[in-house]
Formats: sequence, C-alpha cells, structure tokens
Amino acid sequence: MTRYVLRRLATSAVVVLGVSLITFMMLHGLSGSPGRAILGVEASAEAVAAFDREHGYDRSLVVQYVMYLGDLLQGDLGYSYRLNQSVNDLLAENAGRTAMLAGAALVLAIGIAVPLGVFQAVKRNSVGDNLLTALTFVAYSMPVFLLAMLLIQVFALGLGILPAQASQSSSNFVIFTEPRAMLLPVLTLTGVTVAMYSRYQRSAALDQLAQDYIRVARAKGLSTRMVLTRHLLRNACLPLVTLIGMSIPLLLAGNLVVESVFNYPGLGLLFFNSLNNQDYPVLLGYTLVASIMTVLGNLLADLVVAVSDPRTQNA
Amino acid sequence: MMAGDGEVLAVEGLSAGIRLRTSAVDAVNGVDLLLRKGETLGLVGESGSGKSMTGLSIMGLLPSGGHVAAGSIKLEGRELVGLPERQYRRIRGNEIAMIFQDPMTSLNPTKTIGEQVAEPIRLHLGASAGQARERALEMLALVGIARPAERLGSYPHELSGGLRQRVMIAMALSCEPKVLIADEPTTALDVTVQAQVLRLLHDLKDRLGMAMLLITHDMGVIARWADRVSVMYAGGIVESAPTRELFTGMRHPYTQALLACTPRLTQPRENTLYSIAGAPPDLLDPPAGCRFAARCAHATERCESEAPPLAATRPGHTLACWHPVDGPLDPATTPAQAPVPDTEQAGPVLDVDDLVKEYGGGRFALRGLKRSVKAVSGVSFAVEPGRTFGLVGESGCGKSTLAKMIVALEPPSSGSVTALGGKLNELRGRALRRHRRNLQMMFQDPLDALDPRMRIGAILREPFEAQGIGTAAEQLAAIRELLDEVGLPHSVLERYPHEFSGGQRQRIALARALALNPRVIVADEPVSALDVSVRSQVLNLMKRLQAKHGLTYVVISHDLTVVRYMADAVGVMYLGKLVEVGSSDDIYLRPAHPYTAGLLAAIPEPDPDAGDRIEIGSEMPSPYEPPSGCRFRTRCPRAQARCAEEEPQPRDFDPGHSAACHFPLREPQVTVRTG
Repeated sequence: MTRYVLRRLATSAVVVLGVSLITFMMLHGLSGSPGRAILGVEASAEAVAAFDREHGYDRSLVVQYVMYLGDLLQGDLGYSYRLNQSVNDLLAENAGRTAMLAGAALVLAIGIAVPLGVFQAVKRNSVGDNLLTALTFVAYSMPVFLLAMLLIQVFALGLGILPAQASQSSSNFVIFTEPRAMLLPVLTLTGVTVAMYSRYQRSAALDQLAQDYIRVARAKGLSTRMVLTRHLLRNACLPLVTLIGMSIPLLLAGNLVVESVFNYPGLGLLFFNSLNNQDYPVLLGYTLVASIMTVLGNLLADLVVAVSDPRTQNA
Repeated sequence: MMAGDGEVLAVEGLSAGIRLRTSAVDAVNGVDLLLRKGETLGLVGESGSGKSMTGLSIMGLLPSGGHVAAGSIKLEGRELVGLPERQYRRIRGNEIAMIFQDPMTSLNPTKTIGEQVAEPIRLHLGASAGQARERALEMLALVGIARPAERLGSYPHELSGGLRQRVMIAMALSCEPKVLIADEPTTALDVTVQAQVLRLLHDLKDRLGMAMLLITHDMGVIARWADRVSVMYAGGIVESAPTRELFTGMRHPYTQALLACTPRLTQPRENTLYSIAGAPPDLLDPPAGCRFAARCAHATERCESEAPPLAATRPGHTLACWHPVDGPLDPATTPAQAPVPDTEQAGPVLDVDDLVKEYGGGRFALRGLKRSVKAVSGVSFAVEPGRTFGLVGESGCGKSTLAKMIVALEPPSSGSVTALGGKLNELRGRALRRHRRNLQMMFQDPLDALDPRMRIGAILREPFEAQGIGTAAEQLAAIRELLDEVGLPHSVLERYPHEFSGGQRQRIALARALALNPRVIVADEPVSALDVSVRSQVLNLMKRLQAKHGLTYVVISHDLTVVRYMADAVGVMYLGKLVEVGSSDDIYLRPAHPYTAGLLAAIPEPDPDAGDRIEIGSEMPSPYEPPSGCRFRTRCPRAQARCAEEEPQPRDFDPGHSAACHFPLREPQVTVRTG
C-alpha cells in the first residue's frame, strides 16, 4: 500500500509539473508584456521595458520558467504587482472561504444524491423515478450561471426571501454565521453536481440490486430497509467515491462562476478578477493549486475505495 | 393429501405469473408438491420450466411483477399465500431457507463471512453479537470449513467456490430451518466439488431433520440424492414418483425422453444421442392442451385440445398424461451415427508441442507485488485429421487458455502449435490471417459470442468479408447452404441473436465456425450452456458435420460424459499440466492417474442404483502457488513423500496411453520414456 501511494504521488508530481509548464507557456506566450498589463495603457514604452527588465520578463520563456520553478520549489508562488501582495498570501486568505463553500455544496450534493439514487433504483420505472430522472436531466443540462440567475430571480428578486449577494464578511465560517446569505450560492453549486451524482448512484444501485447477494439477504428474512442499508449501500457507493474524486475540477469551475455571480470573496472571485486584470502570477498560482487538488482528490478517492473494498486489498 | 405423516410443506395448485409491460408470463401452472421431514424431494426440469419460480414462490420472493395467482402453500398447516410481508419475513431464513446457484455472487463482497453467517441468527433468534458469533463459528465447523475461527474474518473473495457454497449453506441452516430449498446448489461448481457439497447437504438434512427441495436440471444429481422426484415441464408438474420408480418405471413421455437425452458414460458412441425435437412452448402464450404435446411422439388430437390433469396412478406416483408410456427407452434404439470416413494418414493435422502460457501479475499492482501464473505449463498432444481430441479438467486448469493458443488468439509464452503444417507462432500478418480460415472456434455461451446488434445474415457474412471471399450473391448462397446444414430456416437471416433459443444460437455459432470450410474447430464447452434435450441435438449435429466434412475437433468440456461421447482421444488437465492422455477407452475404462479416476467417480450417473464411489477431497490449489513435485498430490489418496519431491514424468500404459504419476492405478509398460 505504501509503495502504491508513493508511486501515485510521484506520478502526481509529474502531472502538476506538466500543468505548470503548459499554463506558464500559454499565459506568457499568448498575451503581451506583463509590464504593459501591470502598468496600464497609459504607461510609456520605456517604463514598460524597464519594468520587464527589472523583473526578468525580458528574458527567454525557458529561463523565466526555470526561475519560476526555482521559486516554486521554495514554496514561493510569485508576487501580484496588481494587488501588491504575494500570491501565497492571496491564496491563503481566500482558500478557507472557498473550501467552506465547495465543501458545503459537496456534502449537500452527496447527502441528496445517495438516497435519491437508491430510491430511484428501488422504484425504477415508476412515476417518481421518471419524474426525478426528468428533473435531474434538467439540472444536469443547465449551465451554472443560468441556474444562479434563476435562483436569484425567484428567491431574491421575486419572493425577496433571500439576499442576492453572498456574505461579504471576511470570516471563514460565514456558512454558519450567515446561513441565509449563503443558501443560494451553496444551492447553485450543489445543483451542478447533484444531478450527476444521483444518476451515477442510481445506476450503481441498479447494478447491485441485480446481484444475487441482495436476493440472499432478502431470503434471510431482512426487511427491505435492512437489505438496503446493511447490504446495498456500501457496495453501491463505491463507484460514487471515484466519481467524486474526478468531479473536483467541475466543482472548482462551478465555484468560479458562483463566486463571481454572488460576489463571494473566495478563490474563484480572485481568479476571475485576476483574469480581467491579466494578473499572471495569481492565475498561475491558482491553476497550480487547482491541479494539485484535482490530482490529490483522485488519489484520495482511489485510496478510500481501496480501504472500503476488501477485494482490492489482498487479491 | 394426508397430513401428519411427517408432512412439513404442502404446495397445492400453485400458479404464479410475472406481469410484463404488455403481457404476462404464465411461469408456474398448478404445481403440487409435498415435502416430508427428513426427505429430499427433487424438482427436475429444463431452464424456463418454472422450477426456480416455484422455489421463489414458496419463499415469497418472486421478482418484481411476479405474483402468486392461485393455490396454497402450507408450512405445517399454516397458509403462506397472502401472508403479510412482516410475518413472512419471520419465516424466511428461519423456518424456510434457500440456497442459490452461484456462490460467487451470492455473498456480499464487502462484508466478512462471520457477519453474513451471524446475520440471520441475530435477526431471528434474538442472539447477542457474541452469541451469534459463537453460533456462526459452530455452523462453519458443521459445514466442514477448516479453521472456522480464522474464516470468520475473511471476505468472500478470499474463498474458493466450494468454500463459498459451504458458507451459503452455513448461512441458510444457521436457524435450523424446517425446509431447505436448494436451487441448483452445485451447478456452478466443479464435478469433484459438486459431489462434496451434495453429500454435505444430504448429511445435514439428516442431522437437522429438515425437508429439502432440491431443484436441479441434472438427472444424475436427482438419481443419487433425491428420495422422491417431481418432473416439471413448461410450468407444470408432469410426473411425481419415488426416485427409483421414476427412473425405472416412468409413465410420462417427457420423463422418458429427458432421461434418454441425459448422456451417460456407457453411451454407445456409434449411435446418435437421443434428442427431443423442437423447443419448450412460449409461456407468454401457452398451448391449450398438454404443454408437451407438440414435442411428444405419442400425442393425439385430445392432447392438443385438453390438458391432462395430474392424478395418482398408484400410491405416491402421480402423472399428467393421456397416453402414458411404460419405463425407459432402450438407448440402443437410436439410429446409428454416420461413420467418420477414414482419411489417408498424412500425419497429424494439429500438433501441440510443449506449450506454455505464463501471465504476469499485473492485477497485484496495488500492493506492488509481481506474481506470475503458469496457466498452461508444458502441454503436448497431436490430433489426426477427422478425429476428435477431448480435453477435460476442472475450472481454472488452463483448458480455455490452451484453446485460445490453438486457434492463435493468444500467443504462447513458449512451445509451438503446428496446424496443417504451419507453425502458428511463426506466421505473421496476411499469412496468419489466411491460416485462420482453417482454425475456427466455438464458445460456451453463444449469446456472448454473437454480436447483439448484428443480424444473423451479417454475422454469417462476416467471415467471408474478412477473408475477401466471393461476391455478395455468392456469399448469400453460401450462407443459405450453411443454414441448411445446421438445420435452420432461411428466414433467420433478418433476425437478431436475442430472438433465438440457446440451442438455435449454438447452431448459428456452428454455422459461423463452418463458414470458411475450416479443417479444425476448437469447441470450448460447446453445450454446457444448453439444456439436456437441446444439448444432444447440437452434439448430434456436430458429429454429423464432422463425418460429412472430415472435420477435426478439439472439444473442451468439464462434462466428462460429453467428451466421452465426442472424443476419440482424451487429455486430462490439472493445474496447467496434462496428467493423462489416451484413447477414450483408455481414459474411461482403464484410467491410470488417480485424478482421472476421481473425476470419473464424481460424475453423477442418472441411475439410482449407481452406488457410492471414492471421491476426491478438497479443491484445486491456487495456480499461483502450485504444489511442488506432482501438482495433484495435495488431493491424491495415494500421495507419498516422493510425490512432493519429484515431478512425475509421463509413462506409457498402453499404446498411445500415458500418465504422469509415481503411484498409478495400473502397472505401466516396461519402457520408460525419457523427457
């Protein structure tokens, strides 16, 4: 097991390195001089050139990348001249709030999708199942921003029972301190994933329901509820764990939109603003952190499956 | 029916159906069964006859859409039909327990054996976790599992098929039920393990004083283990009688035909196998009269219009037939098989030389382990043109891997296959593709082997297209000829594989294998997915086509009676090695290797007077860690110290008959082979 984890970590490092290389080259290769972006269109050409020279932006891309890597190895993600703050500080400041938002949405999505999927599998092809299938497909096919707009329209502008903007507090725990203000962002982000999870959970539960051991459990005299909770649930959730691991990029992307729409100060909003400002170091730093999280999420999911499925441990 | 004579379960006039979207299947139709304490009732029938549905009806576990339409099920006088679910749950697993066919999928993969066996004990007997664990331990010991305390914490995947079925039995019997329903309990197991499990069930039934309903398709299993038998056909019971009476003095033509179809080791190879023409009726729209009438040689007009009632002909023997027969058919009355023409002996058409297949252990990457397994380990044999070589052995012995190497679907790790003078591992690209014409394969499950989205016409055309033979019109003519040969109407061309029965699908698969006029056909378990009555049709067809085209067959089967009937020469495989090779008579009448003898002894003969024979104990060890020396020694009754140290080399016993054993059952010939 340890060897497996070490090997997976090593390949993960290679993946992250690749991501850093590609984003670095794309950001620097596709747009103009960083000096121009930072100093603005008003600045003179000399000032821009001087800025670029001072910060090494006039050197070849390869040299710049190697320098960037050197800083990375020391844990330095760079400096945002726009915001006059180190990228490390910026990310650290906002990561907590984003994690809380994404985490709450994830917990809610799993909490809804698992029982929903099992229910639909047990009642397959019933009116309820078909209705829920139709609903999940609507949610599945809806873009995040549209869902956000709809929710705002109905609950904030229409009914006026919930605020249209997320909490602006700098606390990491706004979900608990201002739950009303956070309800719409969390719901929107949940909507992104719950449809996918519940479809997946439904088919996984259907697969397991068709297995002989379910019939054996019923032949033992267990009630339907006991068959589902004691025998079906664990086996039917294993595939979902892998899916959750793989859906981290989706969650991060959803986060980006949700934070911008609801003006919630987190990593997503930071990234969105940096994109508008062409703030390369922040963009690079965020992409790198996101790729690390994606890779680690997959690894974690695989480990959870390995631990909860005895067949993978000592085959 | 009289109550009181140990009667535990009485089923009367039971009818059950399954509602589909637009129609209904009439799966069980007026079934009467009677189970007495300490007695085994065999329920025999082909697939789709409603025997499993009967078992599930008794358990109150019909699949969704299923319902009991009429009749009564009484457990010690208590009516179960219409019993509320809450009360039924107290009976399931407690008073009536059930064992299912496939032990590989019948246990929850993520729960320990201990948890699963203890579950019904806690549920029904109200035992504490500790008490339930104690009882589970007792049960595991009772079903003959060695070191039960260690097994409590094991997961199902760590156990072999036979052990899992023992765990299933322990689970079913943990609350000492009054009735045990065993639905094909050994069909998924190897023949040697089947004998062990059936004996265990029989002994436990006696010890616990249960009544057992043994559901099976296998007349051999019935003959040996049932006290009374009920024969089912198309949803109804056609005949019930004490076992010996049923086998020696059956009255229903179906019972007679079913027994005649069942292959025996004593089957005369020159004659065709008895087979029942046609297929069972469609239960979506069952015929009005006797459901067997369409396939019955004795049917009259009355049979087609009026269903015969199930009535007692003498005490304990009931029958539903207007024109009963008397006793079994004489096996010699079947017509003679067309003789295989003698081809000029130009040497073997197929020569397998020291073939080895080794698989690396990629599956164990999670633990960073590299283990390899030799699936086939130094196998050599040769087949003369127009002959059949049979290959027998238990699952996991490497038979199928060997088959794939013979038809060049799998490259050997070392050794060679020479077919029609060409070494397969030296052929590449176009030459290999051309060579493949002469090497075709038939698979076990024809539904898996036929693309579900291709029409039969396209499936049969594909071989011609792959080899670029003929115009579209010529191909169609050839396909029509093929259909005539395998006895299917030309109208099948536009239909899809799922529209056919198992026997018809295997005919289609055979037609496809024949398309390119091959010289060699490798048939991997060609009939084991088929019912007995259909099985003999396919085997007869294979023999007829062999005689007509001078085909050479390699027939692989775990069923020794099939190989006995088909093969001229037989090889017995054990853990990747060929332990004995010889003519069919050498192997079946004069076996030298204890393993061969054990396999033969384990076959359940469809004869209640066959008696007991020596059985092989335990199960095949893991091919990842084969035993040192002779691989069979861990299960061999004759094993001695030498067997662990020295690997036995093949020695000759008769001309062309050799076996690799230090202590064979017969004296070898004096000349000792080298290498």
